[in-house]
Amino acid sequence: MSEDEDKEIVGYKQQPGKLPFSKPGSGGKDGFSRPTDPKMVPESRGGELAQPWGSHRHDSLVSGQVIGRPTALVDGAWKVTGQAHYGDDVRLPGELVGRIVRSPHHYARVLSIDFSKAVALPGVVAIATGQDAKNKFGVLPVTKDEHAMAVDKVRHAGDLVACIAAEDEATAREAERLIEVEYEILDSIHDMRKGLEDSENPIHDRGIYHIGESNIQKRVFQEFGDVSTMTGSSVASHKQNWIFAGVNHAFTEPHAVVAHWDPSGRLTLYTPQQVPHYVHRALADVLEIPMHQINVHRTFVGGGFGGKSDPFPHEMCAAILARKSGRPVRIAFDREEVYWVNRGRHPSRIEMNLHADSEGRISCIETDALIDGGAFASFGHVTTYYNGVLHTAPYEIGSFHYTGARVWTNKPASGAMRGHGAVNSRCAVEVGLDDLSEKLGVDPITLRLANILPPHSATITGFRVTSIGMRECLEKVKEQSGWSKKFRKLPLGKGIGVGCGFFISGSGLPIHWDPNKFPHATVHLKVDMDGGVTVHTGAAEIGQGSDTVVAQSVAEVLGLPMDMIRIRSRDSDTSPVDLGSYSSRVTFMNANAAISAAMKIRGSLLDATSEITGADRDGLVIGDRRIFLKNDPAVGVSYLEALHKAQEDIGALVSSGAYRTPPMGKTHKGAAAGLAPAYSFSAYVAEVTADIETGQVAVDRVWAAHDCGKALNPLAVKGQIIGSCHMGMGQVLSEEMRYGRDGHLMNPDLLDYKIPSVHEMPQVIPIIVESNDPEGPFGAKEAGEGPLLPILPAVCNAVYDAIGVRTSELPITPERVHKMIEKRCRSEGISDPLDLDCPTLNHSDLQETLEDRAREHSERDKSRRFDEDISDYHNGALFGLDPTIPPDEADPNWEVRVLPGKEYLEDPRLAGSAWKHSERRHREG
Amino acid sequence: MVQFRLPMLPHPDEVEWNSIVNGVETSLSVESNAILLDVLRDQVGSLGTKRGCDMGTCGCCSVLIDGEPRLSCLTLAIEAEGTKITTVEGLSDGHHLSPIQETFREFGGSQCGFCTPGFLVVISSLLSEKQNPTDAEIKNAIEGNLCRCTGFQQIVDSVRAASEILVSGASIEDSTMPKSDPHPKYMEDV
Repeated sequence: MSEDEDKEIVGYKQQPGKLPFSKPGSGGKDGFSRPTDPKMVPESRGGELAQPWGSHRHDSLVSGQVIGRPTALVDGAWKVTGQAHYGDDVRLPGELVGRIVRSPHHYARVLSIDFSKAVALPGVVAIATGQDAKNKFGVLPVTKDEHAMAVDKVRHAGDLVACIAAEDEATAREAERLIEVEYEILDSIHDMRKGLEDSENPIHDRGIYHIGESNIQKRVFQEFGDVSTMTGSSVASHKQNWIFAGVNHAFTEPHAVVAHWDPSGRLTLYTPQQVPHYVHRALADVLEIPMHQINVHRTFVGGGFGGKSDPFPHEMCAAILARKSGRPVRIAFDREEVYWVNRGRHPSRIEMNLHADSEGRISCIETDALIDGGAFASFGHVTTYYNGVLHTAPYEIGSFHYTGARVWTNKPASGAMRGHGAVNSRCAVEVGLDDLSEKLGVDPITLRLANILPPHSATITGFRVTSIGMRECLEKVKEQSGWSKKFRKLPLGKGIGVGCGFFISGSGLPIHWDPNKFPHATVHLKVDMDGGVTVHTGAAEIGQGSDTVVAQSVAEVLGLPMDMIRIRSRDSDTSPVDLGSYSSRVTFMNANAAISAAMKIRGSLLDATSEITGADRDGLVIGDRRIFLKNDPAVGVSYLEALHKAQEDIGALVSSGAYRTPPMGKTHKGAAAGLAPAYSFSAYVAEVTADIETGQVAVDRVWAAHDCGKALNPLAVKGQIIGSCHMGMGQVLSEEMRYGRDGHLMNPDLLDYKIPSVHEMPQVIPIIVESNDPEGPFGAKEAGEGPLLPILPAVCNAVYDAIGVRTSELPITPERVHKMIEKRCRSEGISDPLDLDCPTLNHSDLQETLEDRAREHSERDKSRRFDEDISDYHNGALFGLDPTIPPDEADPNWEVRVLPGKEYLEDPRLAGSAWKHSERRHREG
Repeated sequence: MVQFRLPMLPHPDEVEWNSIVNGVETSLSVESNAILLDVLRDQVGSLGTKRGCDMGTCGCCSVLIDGEPRLSCLTLAIEAEGTKITTVEGLSDGHHLSPIQETFREFGGSQCGFCTPGFLVVISSLLSEKQNPTDAEIKNAIEGNLCRCTGFQQIVDSVRAASEILVSGASIEDSTMPKSDPHPKYMEDV
């Protein structure tokens, strides 16, 4: 301080000669602002961060703090010290222990429930049955078909009949045993094919919308393009009938919930949930109270993967019991109960037909998918679409025909699981492409490279695809795996295979369409005089790192270290509405909302800095806790100085940011399913060892390239890629929900439900490809689900390379592989399987044509990355249509059909036969 | 239906139970058929010890009994009478994480975190026996623990990093030390 300034000090400031006050809120470590690392600053802003995909609209917000740096999860310290509280760790004074009485029958009418003996047991405090909560609920408003407990029927073994709250667990379990339920047993259905037929007692009644008298919950028919001409002109075709077993998420934390009606009469529900908001809605419906009377508190979530993304009956039960007893009630599941709730991947039967023409183009994909929904709808409406529409990319295809049906059976409900609806049919497509490439005499990677849609294009069903890093993914795994030296060249028993994936990054339309003007994601920020930033978001942190990525986005924009950002994402009372952690939407939507909220605070800080320093606002940049002139970094103020200046008149700075999807997509029935603001792409190469004599398959190494747009947190992205490999590998090799002859689930535990252990895990080499999506936050897309898709077909294709057998049934247990080897030996008249030949590849003339086309397309794609004014590109250009005109306008023979014609119904495929039924409303008058 | 948590008698005998849990002498009256996991969670208050499967398949409930990793869901409380029990809460001192806790946080060993306590106690036992284990030894040590998020790779990475800390004798930062100064000076002012 100069002497002049000393004299001018007035007000609270210290008088001359006395000790100076420190600036309130200041102090701490790192007393000097670190210069911005040019390697973190994008080229477009004069830095050294290469941008092969061009500049991004968020480039000017980069302060070089955290985006792109491997960042430890912000809640990691809680988890490693055991202080992270999951569902069963919430302990409230005076709590009761809740238990659920479950049906031992697959399908039965509940005639009576006698709980007199249970009530008489000392320590039993409350009992509830379906009669206490008759309102239906379900995650999708169009298919609400669940009750808290059975109102009339139980629909699968393990379905809820009643619930009890008691003073301790032993009493609750004893009371559970004492409840006597009288059932009238009904004929149950276990084979999904039976679900297509008329039944005397359909599992649900959809009223006028019921399809025939069947158990068909949802059916889809889609036809795009001129299927008959395209299939007629094909030179190679692939047909395979697949059977996929159902798989479970097998997260480590069993479901648990605590409900508490506080003294003011408000309900707080503590629950490990991916979709707290949907639970909030469902609770209000079931309990018949307004939403503002409920606080949904998301605890730490011990793994979700889609398995905690429905509002659950047991959550309703806890709330009902707590209301009845006037005390907190905790319900914690046994592992077995996790399987009764299920919501895992649908068991399915998929017929896959692929056709290629003489130029090695994919002229038609015909898919028929029958999926086994179990007893409830859950997300099934969407799953039925996803089984088809999510394999219309990344390839340009001549025509597309999809028939899909989801049926109810008397099994625990299937639902959303990582890679929702896309995994099984993607496996079938990618294995089909492997087969097609063999029939065409070309390398399977070349075939793919010559058929990829370019960036900024529209798929055959009209999805708007922005950034595409598919080509780079394929090129990288090809190079790093040493593909050219290995493919079809490894000895018997060793094999290598490739598979690709395509997945949504957020669902384009929110589940609740009405009112659909709500934003998908909202984030509030509050910055008070201490300088710390409190972020309020409803995004459900489920271990994937959503709190971290939102904190990173805010830290980056405001130039702050991560320890100054605190996330409040648990309570619906304090969080803005967020739709939840599903469909890989959180990074894309929440980080975008966080950035837009942070930009408002940033604006206030820049204004204040300009006012203090007199510097031109446009010349200011934000660096490490400091705002300064870009051209003269000495002119600037600390973050806290700018903040206090900005707060002088109004106190705490608060802001809110939101994200909405842009308008997109077509208008045909079902056009919204699969629509997303961006899509992720991935390509994996897997190397396997197959034991010829035992049929045991081991995956040795996986090169896993994933285009996540921009890796905001590379540590988390790699974790997602490796974790996806683990889960997908389980499905392809060992995981299966096994149902016995009488329909009983035989392995509802982690001993018989085999998830890979550390010994089965291969070395995974994660390769991050960054295509810098124009609409993503700093260019990011998703990494949570897409990386699961390619591992299944990559392993299947590698097994074929190793021993020349193609599976059509997952998982490929040693037993199944052994049977296939035996069959091959028999058909070739070979007695010792060690004498079998490996498949070989002799390139046809087409190989060169495809290589040329791939090179040409590679140039085309690169030029489409940067062009400011990119021309339209509609699927179909590869087949000679004008790329700038939608194919339905360009081609007179182009058909878009969402209903089958009479001709189709004469000889429908399996799932397609669902269309033989008429809805009740069309039959009755 | 199968019952993995055997139906318990509502009122079994109470017995006295004495153990040293995370260095604290603990005397409780427990039910004679009580499972150690339940005693630790419901009576001792070690909620960091997780219940995942009740049948010894997931490893989430692992604790150290006299330094040896044990599945507390398959151990009767009375079997652990008079022993020294270490749970995840006993691995750090409130200021400094143990090396394996620090590296789990830092290298992605923990995603959802539910299996983490089990892994941590098992690995801390491994590292106390051998500061510099081989990959095979690491894998053998954690083969009884299931993780559904990480695919184990970043867990093994974390163990290697923790081993480096132990071997080098590097110190771990006290988590209660001051955090970043929001009012830093311009670097070139000095």
